[in-house]
Amino acid sequence: MTDGVAQTALARPPAAPRRLAAAARSTPVGMGVIVLVLIVIFGVLSPNGAFFRVSNLSTITLNVAVTMLLAVGITLVLAAGELDLSIGSNVVLSSVFAAKVLVSLSGTNDQVRAGDYPDLALGIVGGTIAGVLAGTLFGAINGLLITRLRINSFIVTLGTMGIGTGLAYVVSNGVNVPYVPRVLQTSFGIQKLFGVIPYAVIVVLIISGALAYTLRSTRFGLHTLAIGSSREAAERAGIRWSRHVVALFILMGALSGVAAVLDLTRFATTNIGGHQTTALAAIAAVVIGGTSLFGGRATIAGSMVASLIPVVLGTGLVILGVPSFYQLIVVGAILIAAVYVDQRRRERLSA
Amino acid sequence: MASVATAQIAPKSGFVIEAVDIAKRFGHVQALSGANLQVRPGEVLALVGDNGAGKSTLTKVICGALAPDGGTLSFSGETTTVTSIRHAQELGVETVYQDLALAPDLSVAENMFLGREPLRRSPFGDWPAVLDRRRMRHAAWEAIKSAGITTLTSVDRSVRELSGGQRQAIAVARAVMWATSAILMDEPTAALGTKQTDIVYESIRSAAARGLGVVVISHDIPKMLSLAHRIAVMRQGRTVSNTPAGDLTLTDVVTLMLGGRAKGEAA
Repeated sequence: MTDGVAQTALARPPAAPRRLAAAARSTPVGMGVIVLVLIVIFGVLSPNGAFFRVSNLSTITLNVAVTMLLAVGITLVLAAGELDLSIGSNVVLSSVFAAKVLVSLSGTNDQVRAGDYPDLALGIVGGTIAGVLAGTLFGAINGLLITRLRINSFIVTLGTMGIGTGLAYVVSNGVNVPYVPRVLQTSFGIQKLFGVIPYAVIVVLIISGALAYTLRSTRFGLHTLAIGSSREAAERAGIRWSRHVVALFILMGALSGVAAVLDLTRFATTNIGGHQTTALAAIAAVVIGGTSLFGGRATIAGSMVASLIPVVLGTGLVILGVPSFYQLIVVGAILIAAVYVDQRRRERLSA
Repeated sequence: MASVATAQIAPKSGFVIEAVDIAKRFGHVQALSGANLQVRPGEVLALVGDNGAGKSTLTKVICGALAPDGGTLSFSGETTTVTSIRHAQELGVETVYQDLALAPDLSVAENMFLGREPLRRSPFGDWPAVLDRRRMRHAAWEAIKSAGITTLTSVDRSVRELSGGQRQAIAVARAVMWATSAILMDEPTAALGTKQTDIVYESIRSAAARGLGVVVISHDIPKMLSLAHRIAVMRQGRTVSNTPAGDLTLTDVVTLMLGGRAKGEAA
């Protein structure tokens, strides 16, 4: 396709659009500016600059870690034009499995009851594997239901959201799994590298970086966007929709499993009544960050930055003594504004 | 670039595509029965017929999108069962669809390589291999220039931003870039204005000049009479005539389409 002479003469496409100018107008950068402005405002207004304290900022990142990880996963799902409402319920169910396996491998019933965990290392390894595996399996079931039965992912994951929560209650008899060792929390869950960066945040950043690279630079990433942009065009180009969608939901499930394990180490307990709005919060962050709800356009950096907004707002309002309920109102308004801007943009481009 | 003289180049012997006695049924509807098509290297074959005559179905069978119920397909003399669009592409046959099949959110370069992206080593080693975006941009740009698309300033623009004519031209340029034996086009100019239509016809001539066999479905019969080397007429799922364009008049073609018999056709 490239004969040497013609290539040198013709094959010099015009320079790529000016990166800096384009970046300045992109959503992730815009959202980053908003987050920075919020931090500065809260920092200046807070008594003695309490908000600026390293311990406060690092706690914010710890509080946002699980939502951020899930938002990164949802970015890929939305990029392909699909939706996953079941991730919160997946996190709960996976953490129940992780905790059960962890506790039962760590020692006998009597030992763990007495707070003694002779085989703690084995328990941690087994529990982590069980949690990630359970999440992965949950995701695989979502993917297979969507592609085999050809049911819309919104409906499938609305269904499995209920099923997952119900199963978590059944497996745990409706109470949190007892005797989860506290050492999970004290030696990892709330620990920070150099006293600054929480370990959980490091895990989330590494995974997010790898997935951002996957989306930008690999075939898998391009095919994800192609499917979200036009499933028909993608299939005619030889991309197998069902295989790809199953892979995406398996990935989303695995990330939910990792989130479950991080959650378990953070609180040293399962949270079977929790995560009811986690999926919606993650989806909101992704859309605010600049990923299109209709598929085809996605930014993991945007999702990561936007997932900070609710927590920064919530923490800041508390420090200022304003009821944190306002956080919900502001985030809701931002979500609607972000989608409106996205729609206007699409209309303008297509015009 | 091809000129009018192209039309006088005698096509080489042998067929790049030969479809014989193809049959296809959808439920109670016999869409094809006794459909034939032959195209030689460097030849433009116009496939004409009334709506529902089976033109699109026949091209879908040839390009691997539909499995036929009967008949034989040969590519460059080798009889093959085409199992998928990808399989037909591997045989050198590219298709331009009526509805374009471009992903609007992807760039022009990404669309031209979708499903067949060149890879290079990543900075982290052999795995994961990453998209060779530089090669994609350069090759796409070259293909677009050689297709005579002058209105496009960048292969980095998303297809959503392009006009209908530009999109169609890119779909054609993509087919020309990848095809090694033949191109099938289903009404490539249906949605276009005059000027844009001329660009597409020019790229059809240029593809044939490069030795590709080109099958064009079109309702623009006067244009087909001047553009194509041969005209194949389909009626009710059958190929009823396959005649050099020079031997036919507009009236002949219309008569054949509607059920009469043209001069030169065996009784």
